[in-house]
Amino acid sequence: MLAVSAAVKIVDFVKKFGDTVAVDGLNLEIYEGEIFGLLGPNGSGKSTTLLTIATVYKPTSGDIYVFGRSVTREGDEVRKYVGIAFQEPKAMWVDTLYELLLWHARVVGYSSAEAKSAVRDAMERLNLWEHRGKQFYQLSGGTRKKLEIAKVLIQRPRLAIFDEPTAQVDVITKHALWDVIRELRQEGSTVIVATNDMFEAERICERLAIMYRGRLGALGTVRELKDRIPGGDVVEIGYEGSREEVERAVSRLPSVGRYVLEDNRLIAYLNRGEEKAAEIVSLLTSAGVKVKRIMVQEPTLDDVFFYFTGARLREENQDVALNRGATPWAR
Amino acid sequence: MKDFIKACFLVAYRDLRRFWKFKHWLAAQLAMNLADVVIFALVLNNMVNRDYIPDYVKFMSTGVLAIATFASAFSIGREVGGEMRREVHHYLLSLPAPRAALAAGRFIGGALRGLVYQLAFIVLNLLVVGVPGPVQALAIAYTSLLFSLSMSALAIAVVSSTRDFNLQSTFRALIYYTLFFFSNVFYPKELISLRFPGPLAAVVTHAPISRAAEVYRWGFGYYQSLDPMALPEVTLWAIILLAVAALLYTRNLSRQ
Ligand SMILES: Nc1ncnc2c1ncn2[C@@H]1O[C@H](COP(=O)(O)OP(=O)(O)O)[C@@H](O)[C@H]1O
Ligand SMILES: [Mg+2]
Repeated sequence: MLAVSAAVKIVDFVKKFGDTVAVDGLNLEIYEGEIFGLLGPNGSGKSTTLLTIATVYKPTSGDIYVFGRSVTREGDEVRKYVGIAFQEPKAMWVDTLYELLLWHARVVGYSSAEAKSAVRDAMERLNLWEHRGKQFYQLSGGTRKKLEIAKVLIQRPRLAIFDEPTAQVDVITKHALWDVIRELRQEGSTVIVATNDMFEAERICERLAIMYRGRLGALGTVRELKDRIPGGDVVEIGYEGSREEVERAVSRLPSVGRYVLEDNRLIAYLNRGEEKAAEIVSLLTSAGVKVKRIMVQEPTLDDVFFYFTGARLREENQDVALNRGATPWAR
Repeated sequence: MKDFIKACFLVAYRDLRRFWKFKHWLAAQLAMNLADVVIFALVLNNMVNRDYIPDYVKFMSTGVLAIATFASAFSIGREVGGEMRREVHHYLLSLPAPRAALAAGRFIGGALRGLVYQLAFIVLNLLVVGVPGPVQALAIAYTSLLFSLSMSALAIAVVSSTRDFNLQSTFRALIYYTLFFFSNVFYPKELISLRFPGPLAAVVTHAPISRAAEVYRWGFGYYQSLDPMALPEVTLWAIILLAVAALLYTRNLSRQ
């Protein structure tokens, strides 16, 4: 047994499918009781990692420990803790929604009577009750996703895994899911959410990992990741005064990397914009420049995602913006 | 142990419950099995040599009992194959259940299909052939249980060895028809050895369906005696097929 503060500990995890390396040496720790987001472009190895945590796949090398139990050697134990909502809903096509969930409830440990009420509660909560008699093949993509969410909601596992749960689902269901996730966390569960929805990641996840081509691209809280983009924040200050004074003032601040001066506006690209903005303002004021407007823009999670998965693309975009600002006539 | 049994039961229940949903398959199967009795028996009854088959109706209805049990237990293979193709087995693998319980539950689920479906043909045999004594009844029950377990396990092991739909169907059909034709359901071994001299008659005699049919023929009173090797061979087939299938299925399930 390893120390139990880690709900999931991924150690040198490699997974190959034939010649395809889906995950290439992943090391990651997910703490007990947190809501952890797994981001990454399609094919970056998120699902493969999650399915291996759930003991569906076996690691090619390395190991994963779930509450200290090894997925390679103690699969039966691991499965007692884990519940997973698959990215691709999986069920027999002739079974009805109600049958599927009732059976699921029985398998995850409910008695026959408890199962009925637990299933009904979950179905009503996700607006599935009206579809209860439909066979799986008759369900829309969104309803199938809800079925997956309902499974985890019924199971209330110690480690709940959602693999792109809100792809294809409506706004109401998204909010219902986020409530479910927070509720699970309240009850002490650890939650892992793979997602491509930056809004969702920012809204519910306490820590994030960004995977890229089977490796860990970045890890941290949303705030930390944003701060790690060099020049990610944009501070824009409108002023009245001499351009030379402004330039002199800004050059005294080494943390300001790139900046642009145009039309009595200073646009600076830097980190921790909120703090730096104040410093710039006080410098300008003491130099006799009158500050009229301040705007601080932090990077979106989209920017973070681009930066850690395809930094070049982002830089190119920024250069375009810079050129346009500095030398509009050159275009 | 309690968890294991519970998981087995639930997995088996899942497969048995679904059996009734394939109404068209069931109707077609029933029609085919009954047609076998009617066509072969009524049409051929007066054409075949009475020295070999004294009563073709009785001969066929006991034989069809074996075929019907086989076909319905074997039908589980189609769904297990479909599950593999659609990766529904990922769901099963993620459930809080031991892997061996998944396999055992599946085998039992298929076997139960065989046993439930066979009831109609048991009734037919009671009406057409005769009523077994207590020892015979016990032998019929024992054979039915082991035979349907073996056929269910065989079907599951065969289809799970590939994800390719065409290969799955081919394997399934190949095994199905091999077992079907290399049996004494339609002709007794005396007739077969007349037509095909050599080892074929012996092979047919020891095939699992033939052995089951033989027990049924004796059990319902069509034959007066039973080859002493029949029941041991039914048992042996079950042990071999179950062991091999359990190994193959659990390996194929968690190949990735
Ligand atoms: N069962 C599988 N067989 C073969 N290749 C697979 C399988 N599952 C995933 N892959 C491959 O592994 C890589 C990672 O896939 P996946 O884990 O699904 O990524 P993500 O969930 O981040 O989109 C992809 O290149 C994918 O094609
Ligand atoms: Mg995925």
